[in-house]
Amino acid sequence: MPGKSRTIFLVDCQSFYASVEKALNPELEGKPVAVAGDPERRSGIILAACPLAKAKGVTTAERLGEALSKCRDLVIIKPSMQRYIDYSMRISEIYESYSDLVEAYSIDEQFIDVTGSLHLYGGDPEALARMIQLHVKEAIGVHTRFGISDSKVLAKQACDNFAKKNESGIYVLERERLADSLWRLPVNKMFMVGSRMTAHFERMGIRTIGDLAQTPLAQLKQRMRQRFGKNSDVQAEVCWRIANGIDDSPVKPGTHMGEKSVGHMMTLPRDYGTRDELKVIVLELCELVARRCRSIGKMGRTLSVGCQGADFDRPTGFSRQMTLPYPSHVTNDLYYNAMSLFDRHWDGLPVRRVGISVTGFQTDDQYQLVMDDNRERLGALEAAMDRLKDKYGDAVIMRAVSKTAAGQAQDRAMKIGGHYK
Amino acid sequence: MGDSKKLTAGGNWLWEDSRMMLPEHKLAQNEHQRELRRRERKHIDEAEWADIAMAFSASLQLHKLITIRMFDPFEETRIEGVVERVDQFGGRFMVDGEWFPFHDIEGAVLADMEDN
Repeated sequence: MPGKSRTIFLVDCQSFYASVEKALNPELEGKPVAVAGDPERRSGIILAACPLAKAKGVTTAERLGEALSKCRDLVIIKPSMQRYIDYSMRISEIYESYSDLVEAYSIDEQFIDVTGSLHLYGGDPEALARMIQLHVKEAIGVHTRFGISDSKVLAKQACDNFAKKNESGIYVLERERLADSLWRLPVNKMFMVGSRMTAHFERMGIRTIGDLAQTPLAQLKQRMRQRFGKNSDVQAEVCWRIANGIDDSPVKPGTHMGEKSVGHMMTLPRDYGTRDELKVIVLELCELVARRCRSIGKMGRTLSVGCQGADFDRPTGFSRQMTLPYPSHVTNDLYYNAMSLFDRHWDGLPVRRVGISVTGFQTDDQYQLVMDDNRERLGALEAAMDRLKDKYGDAVIMRAVSKTAAGQAQDRAMKIGGHYK
Repeated sequence: MGDSKKLTAGGNWLWEDSRMMLPEHKLAQNEHQRELRRRERKHIDEAEWADIAMAFSASLQLHKLITIRMFDPFEETRIEGVVERVDQFGGRFMVDGEWFPFHDIEGAVLADMEDN
């Protein structure tokens, strides 16, 4: 079995944003606390609620008003995204003091492969987990939960299904005992299975993770082909492997260095209905994407543009991609091509969300020169702007159109992930 | 999730494709990884400086090919060529028309010595 001898932790921070806020402000001790987005910009939902708030019925992703109706003394705090990133990085550094194999999976979940260092701490994974848990609690003030197993996919499922629910926050999922633990759970508790997939599985007579794991792979492929077509073989095998805990993927510290695509998406504060307004957003997004490409030393060859209408239940808009005339990380190159896609495919209906992304990377240190090449001259100008922004912040220099009513760059410069820094 | 690359042995696609990371968090992670690879400047003792000076002098006077190891905080860098000028006062030397600072030198060896 691949990875049989490994010891992998998936460590999750409980109610991360709310826990950071409580750790920073001792006056919040004993009070129900929630971190919630900005109501004026339609993002007034609960991003994180502390266990005290959850005990009163407050749930993540519900509207602020609903949460307050359940818990009148709920303390609402606006998110400070940069602070949460800083705390997440500090937690990474703590994990790195126990193993050099640490991989962030999200802002509040990280994998640690302790196979090589476990013997230094007595050889007992649970004891080491307790030691790290205490270390993080004392240094950062955040409670962590540990899923432990011999692969990443079992460690993740151990954490989500067991460690988050037991008192110690630590759970070892043994491969030999899957039949008595993970396999007993309903199939919707499996990693990567959402409500639609659950419904499909249930119609196929698969109710538990064990039902899925014990269905012979060939049979599962055949049944999924009947439902999703002949291209579903890979999906069937991925699901079957997850159910059986088969995953030899490494814990990869540098995983974020090798980005395969760079994209930015913006949800607009109101419907944008004219081409002139949307041009501003496309340009601002191209600036962000081009800047990120330059920061990782890459030029992209394939450009994707997507627009969505205001009513997400009745989708309008488009998502299209094109090959650029030459690989680039210059804003104007991306912008002119993005607008040509936009003009060809926009149906003229109001737009609420716009996304731009670039893939097909090559390094930017060597490239073939072409006629009408913007990369040398504009690339140097944009590199100078990048240095200014790195030093003084994103709002220090921006295009004049970003100062119009349609522009979002100024507001976005103050935010991370749509919430204030 | 119907992508065959997810089934590649030893790959990390299952996790790379499913993770939710803020771009700013990715940047912080990348910067952190870069910092972990930061190298310290090597201390060079008197005997090593004497070897370096001898190699420089042979390259400058006899036009011999030299390989010079230079300090870089993140990667191993080497200069290969012939030392054309030495500016003692400015603390720099020239190889193939380009100036480099003395204080970044970490080692130097003549190409014919390197072969031995």
